[in-house]
Amino acid sequence: MISDIKTTEITERIAKLKSNVLSARSTICTERAGFYTEIYQEFERSPVILKRAYALEKTLKKMTIFISEGELIVGNQSSKLRAAPIFPEYVTSWIINELDEFEKRPGDAFYITGEQKQELKEICSWWKGKTLIERGYSLMSPLNREIHDSGIIRAEGNLTSGDAHIAVNFEKILDIGLGGYLQSIELIQNKLTDSDARFFEKQDFYNALIIGIKAFQTFIRRFETLSFELSQCETDLRRKSELVKISEICNSISENPPSGFYEALQLTWFVQLILQIESNGHSVSLGRMDQYLYRFYKNDIIPGKINEDFALELLENTWLKLLSVNKIRSWSHTRYSAGGPLYQNVTIGGQTIDGKDAVNELSFLILDSVGRMKLTQPNLSIRFHKNISDEFLTECVNVIGKGFGMPAFNNDEIVIPSLIDLGIKKDDAYNYSAIGCIEIAVPGKWGYRCTGMSFLNFMRVFLAAMNNGLDEMSGKTFHIGTGNFEDFNRFSDLMLAWKDQVGFYTRATVEIDTAADLALEELVPDILCSAFVDDCISRGKTIKEGGSVYDFISGLQVGIANLGNSLAAIKKLVFEEATISKETLTENLKNNFEGKDGEKIRQLLLNYAPKYGNDDDYVDKLLYEAYMYYIDELTKYHTTRFGRGPFGCRYYAGTSSISSNVPSGSVVPATPDGRKAFTPLAEGSSPTSGTDTLGPTAVFKSVSKLPTNKILGGVLLNQKLAPSALTNETQKQKLISIIRTFFETLKGWHVQYNIVSRDTLLAAKKNPENYRDLVVRVAGYSAFFTTLSPDTQDDIIARTEQSL
Amino acid sequence: MLTVFNIQRYSIHDGNGVRTNIFFKGCPLRCSWCNNPESLDPAPSIMFDERICHKFGECRRIGNGGIILENDKLVINRDLILDTTVYNNICPSKALIVSGQEKTVLQILQEIEKDIPFYNMSGGGVTLTGGEPLSQGAELIDLIIQLKKRGIHVSAETSLHLPWETIENYVNLIDLFLVDLKHLDNDKFTEYTGGNATLVMENFKKLDETGRKFIVRVPVIPGFNFSSAELFAIIDFAAGLKHVSEINFIPFHALAKEKYLMLGKDYTFGNHRCIEKSELKPFTEYAERKGLISKILN
Ligand code: SF4
Repeated sequence: MISDIKTTEITERIAKLKSNVLSARSTICTERAGFYTEIYQEFERSPVILKRAYALEKTLKKMTIFISEGELIVGNQSSKLRAAPIFPEYVTSWIINELDEFEKRPGDAFYITGEQKQELKEICSWWKGKTLIERGYSLMSPLNREIHDSGIIRAEGNLTSGDAHIAVNFEKILDIGLGGYLQSIELIQNKLTDSDARFFEKQDFYNALIIGIKAFQTFIRRFETLSFELSQCETDLRRKSELVKISEICNSISENPPSGFYEALQLTWFVQLILQIESNGHSVSLGRMDQYLYRFYKNDIIPGKINEDFALELLENTWLKLLSVNKIRSWSHTRYSAGGPLYQNVTIGGQTIDGKDAVNELSFLILDSVGRMKLTQPNLSIRFHKNISDEFLTECVNVIGKGFGMPAFNNDEIVIPSLIDLGIKKDDAYNYSAIGCIEIAVPGKWGYRCTGMSFLNFMRVFLAAMNNGLDEMSGKTFHIGTGNFEDFNRFSDLMLAWKDQVGFYTRATVEIDTAADLALEELVPDILCSAFVDDCISRGKTIKEGGSVYDFISGLQVGIANLGNSLAAIKKLVFEEATISKETLTENLKNNFEGKDGEKIRQLLLNYAPKYGNDDDYVDKLLYEAYMYYIDELTKYHTTRFGRGPFGCRYYAGTSSISSNVPSGSVVPATPDGRKAFTPLAEGSSPTSGTDTLGPTAVFKSVSKLPTNKILGGVLLNQKLAPSALTNETQKQKLISIIRTFFETLKGWHVQYNIVSRDTLLAAKKNPENYRDLVVRVAGYSAFFTTLSPDTQDDIIARTEQSL
Repeated sequence: MLTVFNIQRYSIHDGNGVRTNIFFKGCPLRCSWCNNPESLDPAPSIMFDERICHKFGECRRIGNGGIILENDKLVINRDLILDTTVYNNICPSKALIVSGQEKTVLQILQEIEKDIPFYNMSGGGVTLTGGEPLSQGAELIDLIIQLKKRGIHVSAETSLHLPWETIENYVNLIDLFLVDLKHLDNDKFTEYTGGNATLVMENFKKLDETGRKFIVRVPVIPGFNFSSAELFAIIDFAAGLKHVSEINFIPFHALAKEKYLMLGKDYTFGNHRCIEKSELKPFTEYAERKGLISKILN
């Protein structure tokens, strides 16, 4: 069955819908902003949860809806395809400031009309002083505010967006339907007595949920009506019957649990959509889609109610829907998430709760459909485990070979035991899914932001540790250090200085998170998102008030490899070999290696000290030690939900840096690993680009030496793969075998592959120093790409183009 | 001490599974197309990549005029340099490196052991290559014995251009021989490699008589053996041996061009065209007809 699918092309319908989405310009939609503002004005004195319920209700009842030609899955986020709605309750300042710049952005431009600009100006002026970001900043201590503004800690995303980074309980939604949810809310509400300590809050909460879910039902019924009307004037008989079918489906799922695969997928999409109308947080994830949809699929495919081709079309249509969702972020935030991704994750594979391989026909179908579409959404994650079949892995590698960076792998063999160690129930641990990029949570039971809230810039902290606490970029000493590097007599003095500084800043990240959390809880509680996460309904609390079963969030660290490499370079070259004096090093860091002999010093730092990613214990152990000081500190703290219901309410580490390594690097002066000022930092837990010269097995070894069982926020590893590395079956099997070794034996956490593109090769030809790790491997011979002659390089570049 | 110029982990193109290739220095032959010119000299060799040279001048400060600056260009007078190792770790940017490090058996073992989990999962191991690994002497035998003790699979790539007495020592130690068969004609062999084809063919027969299975590897080189007559003869020879498990064709590529430049050597094959896989099809077919399992490596 599977082999047939690979060869077939996407249908004409899907191709057309795909080109519509891809060619749609990003624009702005002001509808939601208008409705929310009107309601907030009208109900200024009402409890916030009710205000938000009314606003959502108005939006869902009044917003423009449409059904595009040919689509099978319906539901739109805003008035036009790829128009980004505005969420004024979170932030308006940057909207006002950047209004005239939207179209001029070098990447991720948004088009807006003059009329809309005017409208937004009016809307935004009303919100002044009332927005989330203003509240969040006012809750930060002046010191933390300064630290935040200095860029050492970045938490902007929390205060300009909703939380999200969550997967709701799709399993239950499909099981009981929206009607079922309404009933269970009413049942609990009826039992509520005024002796309950939180009687009024709970009343408001339940009322809000009921308003929200009913509005959601109305929204679905609007599509029932619209598709029926369209069917009336449709002349094409086939399309006519499709529209009638859509209308029937909407009618049914607005109240009842879905009865088949098509209905289940449509309802899943509606839920996914509605969460992204309610709040503008991203990384709203779909959880284990191949599991909760499987029973519907099986029930339909066996009696022949649907066939595989149709199921594929439905899935592909759904991926296009995911891609149609758009979000406008401030320019400074956009730089942290290049390409405007929304990280809507779909997780497949893994194990059933009794430890069996959970891969089924639908897993294959999802994998293949994602591979056929080659889109940026969904973010597809595979849960690896030791009994996963080679057949499935081969299929994964085939999709990787298409070169769009998917799927990524998470490893059950480390994640599940780590979750159980944390105290997560076994059944839940076995049911985890990826959220956003690589982070993990138990869908439907976990609070927001398992992915973390604030980025801590490790290298700014490290430089402060060398400078008696002075942060040169801001000229401020936020926390007095243990001395200047020149005065350190031993390497251990430096390590202690790091420990002291990172301890301080770790605490500051938690304080900043807390300020953001309090503001989010107070001003922008989510209604539907809370309804669909256990145990919000029975506790009568939003997620932010402590409604979820579990609550763990991660810290986010940027510059892991740079930290290890800097420590190793200093230990070896300054303290052990005395090749570089302390004074010379500090001077060169200050002048960005631009003084006399600066480049020489830099080359020594680059080439004569061990680098993380080469399976060298010297550096790997230093990094482990330094990282543990951070982790030990972080795990001392609690989230704002502590003692209010959820299990956990604790922190763990996380290296997912999305594209933040680039902007994070842009605010860091030169570092002792030989990195020049303001250039990118290393990404996630990957080695610094160009320094891992021993190939993927050495990288795997180094990465697995990190305290991965304590970094449940994710240990992001991006690997480059030459296109030639997947040309035949043997090579694919070898890749699978090293992935297996990394996961089964070394207990690696995550890996994803980027096929080296032509552009990368061109860049490597131009700037060989940054690409020393690029290897061309052929029989009996292998060469670093950068050492090849220019004409050979050109030849390889030309071949790359062909094979991609 | 063993002289090694590269320990390459994750080698996936030669042999089974994921392997670590140990490249040894020194070779009795001088094939004019050689892909690893830095392997030829048994002593460490200086390699210089002008493109990443920052002209720091560290290399000029040592030695007696072996390296000088002429018209703003670095000139390496290799004849004047008696001991290349003084240039070890001199160049900050590693534009100038000394290829070939003396290593103890233990040092090599430590590198090899790092990837044991990968060999185990993939059915891989170690490939000894070079240069001519079998000309390394007694310490190589120590290394192989240590590898065997650890259960690591060992292959060796060899030219067989050695006295049989030397080869014999390895017969029971190496799990899989990958043997080069370059040409049958003595004159041509000598002209292009400086060696003796008869010695190689004799050794092939002796190796065959030991009853151990081995793989025959044919470098297909334009201007040397890339003709039907020559390749058919080579295949016929291989087919006449009893214990050939496979025949592999390795099409010529000129990837090594820059390395010759870095070594200050001429490369007569630098402008030869590469051979496409498809051009070798008739020969793999011919080999199959002769009962040989045949593959094209790339
Ligand atoms: S036998 Fe191999 S290493 Fe020796 S010269 Fe010939 S090609 Fe080069």
